[in-house]
Amino acid sequence: MRPIERYVEAMENKDFTALGELFTKNGHLCDYCPNGTAQHEYHLYGKEAIAMFFRNKFSFRQYSILEAAIANDTQAEFIASFGGFHVMAIATVQKVSEDGLIERMTVRPK
Amino acid sequence: MGVYAITGGSSGIGAKTVELLKEAGHEVINIDLKDGDICVNLASPEGRQQAVEELHRMHPEGLDGMICNAGVSGACGNLKLIISLNYFGTVALARGVYDLLEKKHGNCVVTASNTISQGAGRMDVADLLNNIGDEQRILNLVDSWDGSNLSVGNSIYVATKYALARWVRRHSASFAANGVRINAVAPGNVNTAMTATMSTNAKMALNALPIPTKYGQETLMDPEEIASVIVFLASPASCGVNGNIMFVDGGTDALLNTEKVY
Repeated sequence: MRPIERYVEAMENKDFTALGELFTKNGHLCDYCPNGTAQHEYHLYGKEAIAMFFRNKFSFRQYSILEAAIANDTQAEFIASFGGFHVMAIATVQKVSEDGLIERMTVRPK
Repeated sequence: MGVYAITGGSSGIGAKTVELLKEAGHEVINIDLKDGDICVNLASPEGRQQAVEELHRMHPEGLDGMICNAGVSGACGNLKLIISLNYFGTVALARGVYDLLEKKHGNCVVTASNTISQGAGRMDVADLLNNIGDEQRILNLVDSWDGSNLSVGNSIYVATKYALARWVRRHSASFAANGVRINAVAPGNVNTAMTATMSTNAKMALNALPIPTKYGQETLMDPEEIASVIVFLASPASCGVNGNIMFVDGGTDALLNTEKVY
């Protein structure tokens, strides 16, 4: 599976451990979609932080993705739900390490 | 050496704070429901008044510090207790000994919670606490709410702690202009008697608030990690710190709110 597919799978399964493992030690996930909600955007650095952060979000049902579709080799579109506030989003794997881990991923409103 | 009063000093963070202050050679007066130097119920106006009067009687020359630490969690199932003890029990003591703190240019440290930044609090209740402050009317309002529902209890708990932090911020300039500093600590989840007796659901919720300094350990913070910061804020070493809500949570707040730098 390509990294973008594994990302969608982890998100759909709310598997924060698998999600963290997709990223490198210093992997960067930035999600600008929360700017359209009452929250700040997310900037997470490192696989451990990503796993901890989404453990919290999934446990408290503050983040989920719906209607996901792989757009191409590096992008997926989905509806991001921030505790019930929906934003159409596009996630892009910007950079991948030699061993196939995500070094940088952005999620933006579509 | 100084004279410090503390509420909720019989267990948890409070007990460890008492221990550290005494180790440093200070006199400490513990105000608590049980095992205190002054045994009163701070959830009641009469208990608060009794504590304030007793402190004036014991130390008319003044206090070096008032540490308002007593509180109950959102899982206690009693919304009225959460409101009366956490918010009114703190504000009444801080106000009640303000003249004693002025005499010695002392300071006040309030225990809030890192949950104040996580958006789960009833902000309408927080607003009522800070802006109206009518205890009985607020208790009447929540009387019909379901305190046994964990999320309801937590939302009220967070509201009281948010209101406390805001109360500290609002009063800090005036206090400082009169020689009294006031700050708050916002602890993460700590191993205390309060957390040890929580339900399974409540414990699951705790574990969903990861503590980066405890990564991979599935454990909570040690009371001493919080108490040592309280002692610092209560000491002259922190003379430049006022109106500060200091998060002592191993980085949970920074993890969940990277963009909030102020």
